Amino acid sequence: MEQLFYYLKVSWFSIKRAPLPYMLTVLILSLGLGVFFSNATFYYRMNSDPLPDKSDKLFFPMMMLVPYQCSDCKAPPVLSYSNVAKLAASDIPSARAAMYSADGYLRQHAAQPPTPVTVRITQRDFFSMFDVPLLHGTIWPDNQARDELLLSKATAEKILGRTDVVGQQLLLDDRLFTIIGVLDDWQMLPKLYDAYNRQYLNPAEDIYLPLESGYDYNYLSNNNSSTYDDADYRKLATDGRTKAIHQLQYWVQLDTPAQQQAYRQFMANLVTDEKAAGRHPSPEANQLVMLRDIVRYFGGESADIKAFAIVTLLFLLVSVFNASHLSLNRYLSNQYEFSLRRALGANRSQLQMQLLVDMGLMSTFTLAGAAVIAYGCTKLMNSLWPANRLFASWDVQLMLALAVLTLFCSYLVTLYPSLRASFGSLNKQLKE
Amino acid sequence: MPLHLLFKSLQRRKVVTTLLLVQLAMTFALLLNSILLAQQTRQQLQQPTGLPLQQTLQVQLKPTTVALRQYPALGDLLTRQLEAIRTVPGVVAVAYSNQGPLLYGGNNGNVHDPDREELSKANGVPLYTVSADFFNVLQLPPLAGELPQNEIAVDGLAKSPVVITQSLANKVFDDKPAVGRQVNRGPVAAVVADFYGQRSAGTVNYNAIQVAPLYGVDWGYSILLRTEHGSTDKVRQALPQVLQQVDSNIEIFYIRTLAEQQQRLYSNEFGLASLLSLLSALMLLVSMISSYSNAYFHTLKHQQEIGIKRALGASKSRIFTELLSENWLTTVLGATAGVGCALVLNQVLAQVISIPSLSWWLPLLTYTVLLLCVTVATWYPATIATRISPATATKAL
Amino acid sequence: MITLTNLGKVFRTELIETHALRDVNLQVNEGEFAALTGPSGSGKSTLLNILGTLESFDSGDYQLDGKSVKGLSDAALSKLRNEKIGFIFQSFNLIKDFSIYDNIELPLRYRGLNATVRKQRIERALELVGLHARRDYLPGQLSGGQQQRVAIARAIAGEPRILLADEPTGNLDSLMARQVMELLEQINRQGCTILMVTHDPDQARRAGRNIQIIDGQLHDSTMYDPLAQHTA
Repeated sequence: MEQLFYYLKVSWFSIKRAPLPYMLTVLILSLGLGVFFSNATFYYRMNSDPLPDKSDKLFFPMMMLVPYQCSDCKAPPVLSYSNVAKLAASDIPSARAAMYSADGYLRQHAAQPPTPVTVRITQRDFFSMFDVPLLHGTIWPDNQARDELLLSKATAEKILGRTDVVGQQLLLDDRLFTIIGVLDDWQMLPKLYDAYNRQYLNPAEDIYLPLESGYDYNYLSNNNSSTYDDADYRKLATDGRTKAIHQLQYWVQLDTPAQQQAYRQFMANLVTDEKAAGRHPSPEANQLVMLRDIVRYFGGESADIKAFAIVTLLFLLVSVFNASHLSLNRYLSNQYEFSLRRALGANRSQLQMQLLVDMGLMSTFTLAGAAVIAYGCTKLMNSLWPANRLFASWDVQLMLALAVLTLFCSYLVTLYPSLRASFGSLNKQLKE
Repeated sequence: MPLHLLFKSLQRRKVVTTLLLVQLAMTFALLLNSILLAQQTRQQLQQPTGLPLQQTLQVQLKPTTVALRQYPALGDLLTRQLEAIRTVPGVVAVAYSNQGPLLYGGNNGNVHDPDREELSKANGVPLYTVSADFFNVLQLPPLAGELPQNEIAVDGLAKSPVVITQSLANKVFDDKPAVGRQVNRGPVAAVVADFYGQRSAGTVNYNAIQVAPLYGVDWGYSILLRTEHGSTDKVRQALPQVLQQVDSNIEIFYIRTLAEQQQRLYSNEFGLASLLSLLSALMLLVSMISSYSNAYFHTLKHQQEIGIKRALGASKSRIFTELLSENWLTTVLGATAGVGCALVLNQVLAQVISIPSLSWWLPLLTYTVLLLCVTVATWYPATIATRISPATATKAL
Repeated sequence: MITLTNLGKVFRTELIETHALRDVNLQVNEGEFAALTGPSGSGKSTLLNILGTLESFDSGDYQLDGKSVKGLSDAALSKLRNEKIGFIFQSFNLIKDFSIYDNIELPLRYRGLNATVRKQRIERALELVGLHARRDYLPGQLSGGQQQRVAIARAIAGEPRILLADEPTGNLDSLMARQVMELLEQINRQGCTILMVTHDPDQARRAGRNIQIIDGQLHDSTMYDPLAQHTA
């Protein structure tokens, strides 16, 4: 222990002798690491898998079940109600849920000012497929239309001031709904079930409504909807169920490769039938996209974050090069002292130990600097790209990664100079 | 100093020089691509929109009750809102629209000549449902035909006439006169000048406008108003209260000038360009520190050599120039390697974002910036070098 | 050739003032070979530095070739050094990463001579010091004596009027020292004025004149007579 203090003291003296180059080295390394880390946080969070156990079992089937002919088109990213009905006829998936999102206004009673809410309009399997935790109450027993909704915990607290509110009634856009369940804290990030149009960046919805009720009450999708032919999108309850109004996302759970294969075959057969019925004028373009691939499939990856990731990596490299350069110069100017120590009998392992302590000290300063810079940079990125702000949070794992990276970079920066200082020709160094 | 001796001088500091060269090359590459991206963003923001950006305000709003979101209550609400806004001092003209211009995406569809659908089809054309003053607000006088004066229902018995922009007319009707012809959405009543519609569309200047009542506004709607010069801010401040007084059952999402709207349309690019510029500035700073420390330590280590040179007749300015030229050489070498790096980075970036390819003059500009920075950074150490006393240095050691 | 009139040099620190040279008067004529002797710290190196315009002086005047060097700009002084003065140092002061050729070429480059003239002069100088075959060597590859000969070649390549040598044999063994001295004598015979700082009485004796400095003052500036010294 006493030896460690001695090493620390020597390091400190060496820093004090030439504080500017040392500060610059630490500053540059902190800058490189801080900027890299802040962007890496976004990159890591956006590309993380929110459902590692299931992300290869949940699939989004897409087909060219549209009234127009197109030979090189991708299947549309949203399905019509009748498409879903056809796909739902298969009992191969162990769970299935059609869904879309809409906007609404929620209040306790007509006299209260309305609170804007986002609504996920979906089916009962949604909750089990995406591991949505329930705090109070139950979910719908089936997929029928019913004036019953589920609330997120935050919405329950915001509107009613508490979470145990099952059985109470709320006004959603002038209609009375009964609360049958309240979700526990839940934030699927990225929100992969809603990947199109970069919706995966947004928080999970505030309330949940049965799909059939959404159609009955004419809730239009706030994300992406396409209407073909003579369909009137304002008549969801009628045209929406029978005509080509595409606005539904559809997820199926296929647990085994056999199920997946069977489902692909089912989709192929469906195309054949539809073609025979004259409802599928285009060539087959079936897609069965895995949950973990969905963002890439929709081309919604954050190009800016990716581009900035490339650049920040470059910056980190430059910083490491620069810090090595500075540190090398520092060591070269301290070389005489080093050689003197060796001449006085310090062996190489003692010198290496000293260098290790130097490195530890540098890592500590750099880590502190990097954390501050990363914090600032994250704030800046949040203000420039507010859409990504949900992905800015740090956790222990990320902080540990930063610490390890800092240690590694400090090691790189001090490696060559220390080798040169402790293995160079003693005679030459002293003479110089 | 002759080039081969300069090279020799660099060669004897192989590791240090290599480190410096690598970072100079990378800095050059980043700087170049940042300039490129910043330039592109600037061009995007400066491209003509055909719209009075500064004086036009857009209010995006939505009724909070189901009834108010649907005809006929909606029609009544719109009339009252427009009337109220017209009385606000500084307002020149006001109109409603299902959506504003300068959006990323929105309500759009295809527009074509029914007689030659395949050849004339324009996809993703923004479809506006507006009140008659829309053209007055956005200062879009007819280039041909007459602007509709009455709101005619889009899905009524007689189809509501369509006003299209010049470039859409040229596309659909193959540069022939469009007024009086039919598109799939109705008869063409007039052609107006191009303006920026939606970014997600293939051609941003394609727009189709129908003067018609709004039937439902589940996605909200826009009120567009043009103000007198200098009164935009005042009007903007007055608007929320005016609208609340008309009917409090509304949610106002935002009130922006079209200039702000345009800025937001490219906010991602703006963000990336800003971050890259910041990073470039940091990298330049880092390179300057490198050049500085390189020259400084070089001077310290080579005091004797500098002294000898002084004794042999090198003047102070010569020593100064020699030190600068050594760093210039490093910079030019690094920057030349940087051109290669810049090309690679450009290619890599082009795979994730849209970035123009390198032009010939940009590397020259970047060279200049880099040389300038390196010169500034080397100035002080080079001045120190000139102060080395030849008498002491040649005696030392 | 060289005329010093009441020349003085003071080194100042915060606490003390040291008079390195005091009222030095000296006349050195063209073609002379003078030895500058004196104990350590007596001021001989300072004098040599002033003569070589490497250091400034505080009072008096220094005329080189009839012109005062006082008040000359750095550029003018550098030009003067480059064209009229050659230096030979105790520690040779060759640039270790430059080849022999490049080392000798350096002052010629500073003068702005063209490549052909430079080459001729370098060859001549190398011929004179007998190192023609080693022109592409690095200084570190030569012996001390050879390195000093390179330094001499570098000093004379510019055909200076004066050669200032600061203990040129101080780092050499006696055999090498003799060779260097012979070389200097040869150069002197060719008409170059030489001023040499030395500790070695033998070398001082070989010079035509001995200038002695003690405590910054010129005590003796006579023609050296060895016998007279001994008998005294």
